[in-house]
Amino acid sequence: MTTTAPAAPTALAPGARLTFGRILDSEWAKIKTVRSTVWTLLALFVVSVLISWGIAALAASDVAKDVAEGKKNDAPDLLTVGVAFGQIAALVLGVMSMTAEYSTGMIRTSLTAVPWRASMLAAKALVLALVLFVVGAITGFCCYFLANLMLDAKDVGIALGDPGVIRSLIGTGLYLAVLGLFGMALGVLLRHTAGAITLGIALIFVVGGVVGLIPGKTGDWIAKLMPANAGSQVMSVEAADKMFRPWPGFAVFAAETLILLLLGTLLLEKRDA
Amino acid sequence: MIVAESLTKRYGAKTAVDDVSFEVHPGRVTGFLGPNGAGKSTTMRMILGLDRPSAGRVTVDGRAYRDLSAPMVQVGALIDAKALHGGRTARDHLVVLAKSNGIPLTRVDEVLDIVGLTSVAKKRSGGFSLGMGQRLGIAGALLGDPRVLLFDEPVNGLDPEGILWIRNLMKRLAGEGRTVFVSSHLMSEMALTADHLLVIGRGRILADTGVAQFIAENSVSHVKVRSPQADRLAELAAAAGWQVSRDPAGALLVQEVTTDQVGDLAGHNGVFLHELAKVEASLEEAFMRLTADSVEYHTGGTPPKTAAEAVPGWGPPTVADRIG
Ligand SMILES: Nc1ncnc2c1ncn2[C@@H]1O[C@H](COP(=O)(O)OP(=O)(O)OP(=O)(O)O)[C@@H](O)[C@H]1O
Ligand SMILES: [Mg+2]
Repeated sequence: MTTTAPAAPTALAPGARLTFGRILDSEWAKIKTVRSTVWTLLALFVVSVLISWGIAALAASDVAKDVAEGKKNDAPDLLTVGVAFGQIAALVLGVMSMTAEYSTGMIRTSLTAVPWRASMLAAKALVLALVLFVVGAITGFCCYFLANLMLDAKDVGIALGDPGVIRSLIGTGLYLAVLGLFGMALGVLLRHTAGAITLGIALIFVVGGVVGLIPGKTGDWIAKLMPANAGSQVMSVEAADKMFRPWPGFAVFAAETLILLLLGTLLLEKRDA
Repeated sequence: MIVAESLTKRYGAKTAVDDVSFEVHPGRVTGFLGPNGAGKSTTMRMILGLDRPSAGRVTVDGRAYRDLSAPMVQVGALIDAKALHGGRTARDHLVVLAKSNGIPLTRVDEVLDIVGLTSVAKKRSGGFSLGMGQRLGIAGALLGDPRVLLFDEPVNGLDPEGILWIRNLMKRLAGEGRTVFVSSHLMSEMALTADHLLVIGRGRILADTGVAQFIAENSVSHVKVRSPQADRLAELAAAAGWQVSRDPAGALLVQEVTTDQVGDLAGHNGVFLHELAKVEASLEEAFMRLTADSVEYHTGGTPPKTAAEAVPGWGPPTVADRIG
């Protein structure tokens, strides 16, 4: 028997085939049909907003005193301070979007339905980034309004129209979106939830701070280039000392994440699922 | 049609699939039969583009799986019951799959109905039994109404009713002219389901033949004799050049002779017989004989390195066999 049965289009779905748009749609369905997504995003929002509000409430009088004495005005730094904690949720969501596929075994079904691995990863990344950008920006604005309410009460409030404020709030969404992608890249590289989250947290909270202790210009540069140090400048109203300006910093973070994602894509294409 | 050419997969030093070539044709159920660790799942993963062959290639309808533009319409696969996210409901799981290939969502409810999961469609699959997970996997395979179907041990975890159902499903799918490739380690199961057999042992194809032909060629029958003078009869049989052994109850088993021959021999020599019967070897025995031979063939040249290597291919799974 040498005749091949024609790969006949079925009566069922003549138009059924893969397109990038459909892969996107499928990834969107994936992220919204697991409960952990909602819980993680809720944690991101609640932790960021509550901590920003609480710290602003506690620090408002001190800020007012400093301003009255002509010292540095710390008010701009307080607006979204809670995001420093809430960001872990964005990292976790990014890591899990990839590692949950491996830990559950879903990856084999996913790659059978969508053997275009790079396209699947790209679609996953786009969906994740979009979700985190929207939730992140909303979180940023809510942090601002609540924290500013506390600062306003002591007459040290900051207007939304002041230079850098809107950029920092949109920047919160941008930073969290790229942080999620950073986590996703670690997830695809390590394929292991605990390992990728641990590495991610270490890079953001521990290494980023420790390298600042390296003396001299080299130390300054290494500190500047650390992912979270570079990326988080876009969230601050005024960039910190010795750090990149907001947009260049964000560009560095985005480039670093892109490199990791490309590396991840190569490995995903090459490795056995 | 599935075509494998010199397909090989090595995991480190372990060769899981060893230079295998075969064709799986449409219109019939092809059973992929082999003991634990023979390389069935590995072969299927390579067909689906999940594992990359170390050498050789495999195509589905002339193309590598990864180059298919409508994979779910061209190939439906059940890999294992646990290849899904337990946090998703059965329906959502299928919706995710359907969307990626542009399959209409009405089809999701259709396949849920076909596999009998409609009543639990809104339940998270994490709480499903092995059999329910298996049914959901089968639903996913049927989603695109594909021309080629792969099932890796589909009866795993199914109850008798479920086994009967999948047996009939596979026959019906093949009857519709589709290519159906199903793995199993039970010859008896394949004898009931498959039209064609591909037997694999230790990563090599041992037989590629029709089920009926396989049975005819491999099932060796023998004659069982009970006699109060068994020792005398054994001597006579041996003198006649026959192969004789004893079963645990002390009866003689004489290979490759007819009952007539044994009866005549006994009669001529005045030996009383209490039982004289022709015994057909079971299919399972034929299969075990075949795979056991493959082990002898493999270890004939080089002595086995480890105890695990020395265990015949058929037997309790070794630790090495279970990895992955
Ligand atoms: N990812 C892997 N890494 C290392 N070895 C593997 C891997 N996958 C399979 N193997 C080995 O390859 C061999 C073939 O395994 P495979 O799972 O294909 O067998 P199988 O015929 O499906 O067995 P079973 O009936 O138990 O399902 C086994 O010895 C197994 O240990
Ligand atoms: Mg297997």
